[in-house]
Amino acid sequence: MSQNVPADLKYTKDHEWAKVEGDVCTVGITDFAQSQLGDIVFMELPEPGRTVGRGESFGVVESIKSVSDLYSPISGEVLERNDDLVASPDGCNQNPYGSWMVKIKMSQPQEQNELLSADSYLSLL
Amino acid sequence: MENLKCTPLLKTHEALKARIVDFAGFAMPVQYQSVKEEVEVVRKSAGVFDVSHMGEFWVNGPEAVAFVDYIMTNDFLSAPVGKAVYSPLCNHEGKILDDLIAYKLSETRVLICVNASNIDKDWNWIKQFAPKFKVELTNLSDETSLLALQGPKSEEVLGQILSLSLAELPYYGVLSAKWDNSEIIIARTGYTGEDGFEVFCPNKSIVKLWNAMIELKVAPCGLAARDVLRLEVCYPLYGNDLSEELTPLDAGLKWTVKLDKPDFVGKSALTNYQPVKKLIKFQLEKGIPRSGYLIVDGNGKQVGLTSSGTHSVSLERGIGMALIDFSQSTKEPLFISVRNQNVSINIQTKPFVNGGHK
Repeated sequence: MSQNVPADLKYTKDHEWAKVEGDVCTVGITDFAQSQLGDIVFMELPEPGRTVGRGESFGVVESIKSVSDLYSPISGEVLERNDDLVASPDGCNQNPYGSWMVKIKMSQPQEQNELLSADSYLSLL
Repeated sequence: MENLKCTPLLKTHEALKARIVDFAGFAMPVQYQSVKEEVEVVRKSAGVFDVSHMGEFWVNGPEAVAFVDYIMTNDFLSAPVGKAVYSPLCNHEGKILDDLIAYKLSETRVLICVNASNIDKDWNWIKQFAPKFKVELTNLSDETSLLALQGPKSEEVLGQILSLSLAELPYYGVLSAKWDNSEIIIARTGYTGEDGFEVFCPNKSIVKLWNAMIELKVAPCGLAARDVLRLEVCYPLYGNDLSEELTPLDAGLKWTVKLDKPDFVGKSALTNYQPVKKLIKFQLEKGIPRSGYLIVDGNGKQVGLTSSGTHSVSLERGIGMALIDFSQSTKEPLFISVRNQNVSINIQTKPFVNGGHK
C-alpha cells in the first residue's frame, strides 16, 4: 500500500507528524493514522498555556468506534490549538497534513533530534 | 485471523477492501469505506450486511410452536403463521441467556435466529427441554447464511432479484420462497430500524444473492455501521445492554415478558422479581459515551454504567444507553464520567432516531 508521508515533516512512532519552525513545533496526525481511525468525529485538545512533556498524552481523538490518545512529540508549552479542527474534526480525514492540532513552544529543542524522518517512519508502516 | 470461522463471503469482503475483525470467533467485515456513509446509505437508500455468523435452529414437529413458546418469555402461541416474534431467552432464574427472533413458518415448523456468540450455549440450553415436546431440533448454523438488506429501497431491490412482490409482507412477516434451486426464508426484520429484510439461505447461494444486490447498487455495510444504526433506534445488544446478570425486567424488556402465559422457562422467578437495574437512553451535548463509562449523581456517587455508546451519525452527537440502579430517579441531574470529567447527560424515553420500518 502506498503511503502519503511528506518528506519535509518529522514523525513519531505514535503516528503524529511534527513540523519544527524556529522554536515552535506544529503537530497533527498522519495519513496512516486517520485511515486507521476512520471517520473522526470528536477531538479534545489542550488549552493554550498548558505544558506537555514529550510522549505525554495531550488530547484525544475519537472515531465512531474508537478512542485514541494523542501523544506530544516534544516538550513545551501549548501556544495555540486549532479550534476550527475541534469544530470539524473530519478535517483530519480529508487533509491530515493540512490539519494541525496544536503549536507547541519547545522547552527542550534538542528533543527534535529524536523525531523520525519520513523514511524512518515509512519503515514502521 | 487464523483459527477464526468465516462466512462464505469472506473473500468477497476482502476483495471489497473491508477491514476484517474477529467478532464472536468469526472473521467479519467491520467496515468497507466509511462507517458514516454506510449509516447514511441505510437510512436513505439500501445497504446489505453479511450476518451469516448468526445462529439458526430449526424446530419441527406437531408441538413446535408450544416448545418455542415454552422456552421464550414473549408470546409465540398467539402469533399467526407467517409472523416472527422477538424475545429474550431466559434461564430458570429469569436471567437473560440471549435474545432471539423466532419465525413461525407453519404450526409445525419454526426457525429461531440467535446471536453468534451464544450459539453453543443456547443450543445446549434449549435442547434439554425438547424431550417434553413432540419436536425435532436441528442446528443448521454452519450450513445457513444470512443477509440483512436494510433501507427504504430494500423492497424494490429484493423484489426485483427474487421476482416477487413483497409489498404485502408486513413488518415482522416471514415467508418461504424458492431461489437458486433452494428454499430461502425472507423476513421483514432487521437491526437498523429501517424497512428491510433478512434473507436466510444455504451457504451455496449466498455469494450469488450478495452479488445480485451489489449489482443493483446496494452498498455493502459492516458491523460498525450496524452498531450505530441499532443504537440510534435503541435496540439492545446482547453482551452490552443484555447479559446473564440481568432479567428482561432490568433491561427495558418488560414488554416481552408475558406473565399471563400458562408456563415458560423463568416464569416463577420473573413473577415475583423486583428489578435492580433499569436501562436509560441519553444524549450528550459534547463528547461520546462509551461502554463502561460510569454514570454518577450530583454528588459524584456511582449509580450505573454505560452499556452502549457511540457517535450518532444521524444526530451528529454522542448517544448511549446505561444500566442504572432501579431506585435511582431520572428526574435529578445525572452525569457521565468521561476521562475523569463529569458531563451532564440528557435522558430521554424515546429512541434517538425514528427508523422508517413498516
